[in-house]
Amino acid sequence: MAELKTLDLRPGGQTAHVWEGGDPGSPALLFLHPITGIPRWGDALETLANDFHVIAPYQPGWGPAKDDLPGAHDGLDLVLFNVDLLNTLGVGSAHVIGVSIGAWIGAEIAAIRPDAVQSLTLVNPLGLWSEQYPGEDAFAQHPGFPTAVLFSNPDKRTELLMADRDPMDAYVGELLDLRASAKFLWPIPDTGVGRRLVRIDTRTLIATSEHDNIVATEMGDIWRAAIPGAQSVQLSDSGHIADLEIPEALADLVRNFALEGVTA
Amino acid sequence: MKFHWFNLMPWPHLPDDFRETNRSVWVDVDSRLYDPVEGHRVYNEYLDQLEFAAGLGFDGIGVNEHHQNAYGMMPSPQIMAASLARRTKDVTLLLLGQSIALYNPPTRVAEEMAMLDVMSGGRLVAGFPVGTSMDDNFCFGSNPATLRDKYRENHDLIRRAWEDPDVFSWNGEYNKIRYVNLWPRPIQKPHPPIWIPGGGSVETWDFCAEMGYNYSYLSFNGYVRGEALMQGFWNRLGEMGVEFNPFQGAFAQQVVVAETDDQAEQMYTEHLQYFFDKCLHVYPGFADAPGYRTENTIRAGLRAGGAQGLGIAHTLEWKDWVREGYIVAGSPDSVAEQIEALATKLQVGHLVTLLHCGDMPDDKARASTKLFAEQVMPRVKHIWEDYEDHWSPKPIGSEQVATPAPVLTGSN
Repeated sequence: MAELKTLDLRPGGQTAHVWEGGDPGSPALLFLHPITGIPRWGDALETLANDFHVIAPYQPGWGPAKDDLPGAHDGLDLVLFNVDLLNTLGVGSAHVIGVSIGAWIGAEIAAIRPDAVQSLTLVNPLGLWSEQYPGEDAFAQHPGFPTAVLFSNPDKRTELLMADRDPMDAYVGELLDLRASAKFLWPIPDTGVGRRLVRIDTRTLIATSEHDNIVATEMGDIWRAAIPGAQSVQLSDSGHIADLEIPEALADLVRNFALEGVTA
Repeated sequence: MKFHWFNLMPWPHLPDDFRETNRSVWVDVDSRLYDPVEGHRVYNEYLDQLEFAAGLGFDGIGVNEHHQNAYGMMPSPQIMAASLARRTKDVTLLLLGQSIALYNPPTRVAEEMAMLDVMSGGRLVAGFPVGTSMDDNFCFGSNPATLRDKYRENHDLIRRAWEDPDVFSWNGEYNKIRYVNLWPRPIQKPHPPIWIPGGGSVETWDFCAEMGYNYSYLSFNGYVRGEALMQGFWNRLGEMGVEFNPFQGAFAQQVVVAETDDQAEQMYTEHLQYFFDKCLHVYPGFADAPGYRTENTIRAGLRAGGAQGLGIAHTLEWKDWVREGYIVAGSPDSVAEQIEALATKLQVGHLVTLLHCGDMPDDKARASTKLFAEQVMPRVKHIWEDYEDHWSPKPIGSEQVATPAPVLTGSN
């Protein structure tokens, strides 16, 4: 069973809000959430917890960490936040899975602290920009349904993101999660990570979703080419937020790659 | 009560099917619809109208800033105000305003506004809007998550640049300048009157209350819908212990005047329809970037039902526009009555009139303006006469005002 914890990362320092589940004796897995944060301890995390000690923090600015956004200025601050969190939990290194903006953060961690990353799975990664494959603008959407474009079918926003939550809190939370994403990705999601990807020497898998409106599948090839030895796969039946749309398939992908080195 | 004449300067030649063939009048509007040579004529016509209004006795003439749109063609309000400064004498230059968060360094804004205050002999009102999301976030690429923090820092830097006589260093989050030392300095001390154009952000109310600034509600929803919002502003000032003065509030309102009510409808309907139908056709995805509004403002808007009103204006007719207050319109008698109602409802001392609407031709804009100045203003200027206006410029004396020399030609 999972627990949402609040941890002080160091005296006088940052607070982390983190879901933790699975057997602490299992291999550690750091889950880096997408633009839409972590609406709940969902099926993807639950399935991953069968094989991993799952550590799923809200990045500064998302969900219960909404007020921590001013303290996070750039990718380096996010890397330090996650590394400090692992240290606080006594985890020296972890398998890392990042979805969407979380994939960018995962790549930064692997480039800057390769010793902290045992394997790297990047799903629908943001952070590189191509004029040829710009995708939809995630931040220029109708305010009535601001994240619908992130799903393969707009109705899935209601079904997967907003369900079982107070409607006003869910909507405001959706906008605040987008605000946090915008802080790091505005106005063009070119984070500069492209200069650092060559430093990654961890086993890396790039996955793109066939119905992702934001990250074109061709971007998977660009990421794969930039990371030495990286492999890539395509995911069926999903849009950008793969952890909500195809939770079991995503969990299988991560388990097979991280623990067995299998990409099929 | 004081009256200002303001022109958004819309592009007047959008096609009939604009709404069907363009998703937005702003940000990604088709630039092929713009003709620079016709733009030359239009700019001069609009500037002439502002000067015409000054000559008719309006208290102020207004310009503002927008980008990448056919709704208002003034990317630089300073350029327009500079032109007006030389050709007018005693009218207030209402620069309403400059989106100060966009400029790095913002000392450039401080410099240009100081130049305008000096050029005009101390006639400048400095408007400091946060700016629209379309302009700030989508056209200029300013980050919505940090926009308001940057706005506050830029405001603080501009104020200090105007007021601190010594060279100082600015080590801010968004600006780092080792030597700040403004030349020239504004005539008006400690600074030109500052007005904050806003659209309903509760934080902006508090800011105006704290700083003693004028709050200018710029909305095209009209005065009927504006009542609740302005009352919220006045209530907030009361809660914060600020004494009521109507001149701390301003309101922008579409106004059209003709000899009779029927004539007004006949003369102006098509131009107002152009404005509501085409000039306000903004793609909703550009209207509110994530982080542009604060959580407090989002929640306040949701509690209020999220009613905007503007989304339906283009579907209404003349009688609805008048009844709902989208426009103040009719004969001089009717308009005077509506102005009195507006003043009572909103309790504002400054009315920023938009007497040019949409694709209105010059002769109609001038006719409407003249009737307003000559037959409406004299009947309503007395409103709020018991209050002192602390938010208008304090120009230099007439004996000190420089007069531009006549332009010499080769033959003389």
